[in-house]
Parts: sequence; C-alpha cells; structure tokens
Amino acid sequence: MDFILRLEQSGFASWVREGGTLWSYPAILFCHTIGLATLSGLNAGIDLRLLGFARRIPLAPLRTLFPLMWFAFAITAASGSALLIADMSARLHSPIFYVKLAFVALALVTMQLIKRTVFNRKDIDDSALPSQARLLAVMSIFFWIAATTAGRLMAYLGPVSGLD
Amino acid sequence: MNNPHVHLLLNHVPTIGTVIAFGLLILSFIRRDEGLKRVSLEVFFVIAVLTLPAYITGVGTEFTFETNDSISKELMARHHDAALIASVFMLLTGITSWLALWQWRRLARFRTGSLACVVLLSAITLALMGRAANMGGEIRHPEILDPNVPAAVVSPAWLSASAIKALVSGATWVWPTSEALHFIGLWLLFGILLIANLRLMGLMRGIPFSAVHRLLPWAVLGLVLNTVTGMGWVLAAANQYVENYSFFWKIGLLLLAQLNLLYITVFEGPWKVGANVDSPILQRTFAVTAVGLWIGVMYFGRMLPFLGNAF
Repeated sequence: MDFILRLEQSGFASWVREGGTLWSYPAILFCHTIGLATLSGLNAGIDLRLLGFARRIPLAPLRTLFPLMWFAFAITAASGSALLIADMSARLHSPIFYVKLAFVALALVTMQLIKRTVFNRKDIDDSALPSQARLLAVMSIFFWIAATTAGRLMAYLGPVSGLD
Repeated sequence: MNNPHVHLLLNHVPTIGTVIAFGLLILSFIRRDEGLKRVSLEVFFVIAVLTLPAYITGVGTEFTFETNDSISKELMARHHDAALIASVFMLLTGITSWLALWQWRRLARFRTGSLACVVLLSAITLALMGRAANMGGEIRHPEILDPNVPAAVVSPAWLSASAIKALVSGATWVWPTSEALHFIGLWLLFGILLIANLRLMGLMRGIPFSAVHRLLPWAVLGLVLNTVTGMGWVLAAANQYVENYSFFWKIGLLLLAQLNLLYITVFEGPWKVGANVDSPILQRTFAVTAVGLWIGVMYFGRMLPFLGNAF
C-alpha cells in the first residue's frame, strides 16, 4: 500500500495527472485510444476473415499484421501503465479494472492461439482452415468487445478517478 | 462565423441536394444510363455526409437562441423535431446508397432491389426534408403561418428531440452503453480501414484490393454506430459540443475522411490494385492521408474535454 502511494505521489505520476499541458494526461490518453483502436481493430479484421467474410483475402500476407498489433499493444500498455500510476489507488480498488485486465489477457492469448493454429502453418493458403479457427475468431471478437466495455465502465463503476 | 451563420449556409444542402440527386436518379432510369445512376448515388452519399454538420449547427443555433425571447422556442422545437426525423431518413438513404455502390463495384452492375430501396428512402427523405426546411423558414417568418391551421404533429413522440434528450441524459445506463458502443465502433471502423489503406500503401502486397473491399461494410457499420451514439450525446448535452473548438475540427476531418471512404469504395484506381501490384503514388498519398484523417478524428474526439469544454 505504501509502495502504491509513493508511486502515485511520484514526480512522474503528478506530471501525468497535473502537468496541465496537452502533452501530459491528454496525450497519454490519446496514445491509449490509438493503440487500442489499432490492436482491437486489426484483430477484428483477421477475425472477420476467419469467420468466412472476404474469403478471397489470402491468409499469408495477413501475417504482417501481427508485429503491428504487438507494437500497438506496447503503446497501449505503456500509456495504460502511465494512466494507472497517475490514479493508482482508485484503479486498484475498482473491481471493473481487474475485469478489464482479465479480458485483455484472454484476448491476447486468443490472438496468439490464432497465430499458432492458423498462421504458423506452412501450407497456410493451400489447405482448409483448421476447425478451431471460427471458434477462436468468435472468442477474439467477444473478448475485445468485453475489454472495451469494461474499460469504458471504469469511469462509472467503482471509485471515480480524481482527475479533472 | 458562428453556428447560426454556418447553419444558414449548410441548411439548403440536404433539401436541394436531395432534389438534385433524386432527379438525377430518375433521369438515369429514363436514359438507362449506368454512369448517371452511379453519380446520383454518390451525390446521395455526399449529401448524407453533409447533413451531419447541417444538423449539428442547427442544434447549435437552437442553443445560441435559447435565451433570445424574440425567437419562438416552439417553432424552433418543431423545426428540430422535423429535422431530426428527416436526418434519420437521410442517414438511411446514405447507407443504402453506399451499399448499392459497394455492390455495384463488386458485381459490375446495380441490383434492382438496392436501387428500389434508394428510390423509396430518398423519396421519403425528400418529403421530410422539405417539411423540415419549411418549418425552419417559419422561425424567422412567423407572419406566413396561417393561424387557422392547427400545428401539425411533427414526429412520433419517442422520436422527438426532447424525448431522445431525456432518454440519453435521464436513464443511467444509456450514456455508458453508448460510450462502449462508440469505442467498439471506433476500432471496427479504424481497424478495417487501416487494413484497406495499409494495402494501398504497399503492405500485404499478396492481397488484391478487391478482396479487402469485401470487408468495407463492417467499417460502415462502425461509422453508423458512432454517428448514432455521437448524435445522441450532441442532443443530450448540446452545450458541451456545439461551441467546442475540438468538436468543430473532429467533424471537419470526419467529412474529409468519409469522402476518402467513398473513394476507396467506388473509384477505379484502388479497385484495380491486384495481388503483387504496387499502387501508384497518388493512391499511396491518399491512403496515408486517410489514416491521418481518422487519427485526427480520434485526436479531436479525445481532446473534447481538454481543447474544448466537454464534460
């Protein structure tokens, strides 16, 4: 608890919170939005392809998107950590925050499972999709929707941030 | 320039634009001219896109004159209700026109059913827009009102501006639910258009653009979700948006980004980018610009409370 308070009162945390410039809290929040839009959005595109829409898209070139999605995840996680430090005790006391983290973790695991079972095959575009592909795609979309919803609800459920 | 000024500039677009597009569509049937059909549907899409700022500045105008006793609140509210239902039908006309154009690009011909839907919806829109415009004129010209004619019922009670305002700001679950939907719509829209534009930039060269084109309706679904939820907030809390400089930029960039969406949906250039073909420099520039515009829309959306006065 002491550690959390010290982190929350650190110079960095108060800069994020009270910096008063567009480069502190607003810019970090924006990075979080761009990161999540790229990460969830590209996932959604891959999921829709696996669900049978746009079957004419060959799978092999879509592999390019995975490094991009991990890069987007890095931006989202880094900005998310900064936002967390700025408001740590409120967030850590809010159950919905853990729900959100759990759904993000499940979504990332699903993304890796899709990479392994669908995209890491040698004859990727010459054979039928593996049988789990559709289920994984449905799970992926569901987890991203759930993570987004839980993230939004953080502003309404549990202790409300002292920001603004 | 303020909301009333911009509204007076834009308010003719939905009415006169629909008349022109509708006329062109009918003419295209008489002449059996496929090119003209395409043009009229493109005009419908652009008119629908421009209806959004016409509507928002209208809300801003009502907000500006809220405390001005020389203008009838009752006439403004009637005009607003009429404009709201007309804008809903305009949105439907825009979506249907877009879908018809998307199908045309894929099948190289128009589907009769889709064209029939556009004709029906645009005819309804035309009538509703004409009525809304007429009621707008009466706000500044109450002398033309016939005192012997009772005021008409403008729209069903649940679709009046005040009912939606009460719903969005009254029921506790509506605002958070719209926020969740707005963010889901945001990543759906951005993700699909990012894949399409990255292909045009030269990534994933093994995919023909025509295959990515199949996913575009999902992006439009995201766009519609966000337009509807966003308009709910504008209605419920006009003061947070209509004089917000960040919102002005958000909507401005959104208009340009939507034109780019029309471009990649119907134009020959992107469609012809086959597998392992590089797109020409102009299309790469468009693709980079499009992604930049959508990022800009998100930036100014996020900045609503920081650059402007929201929340």
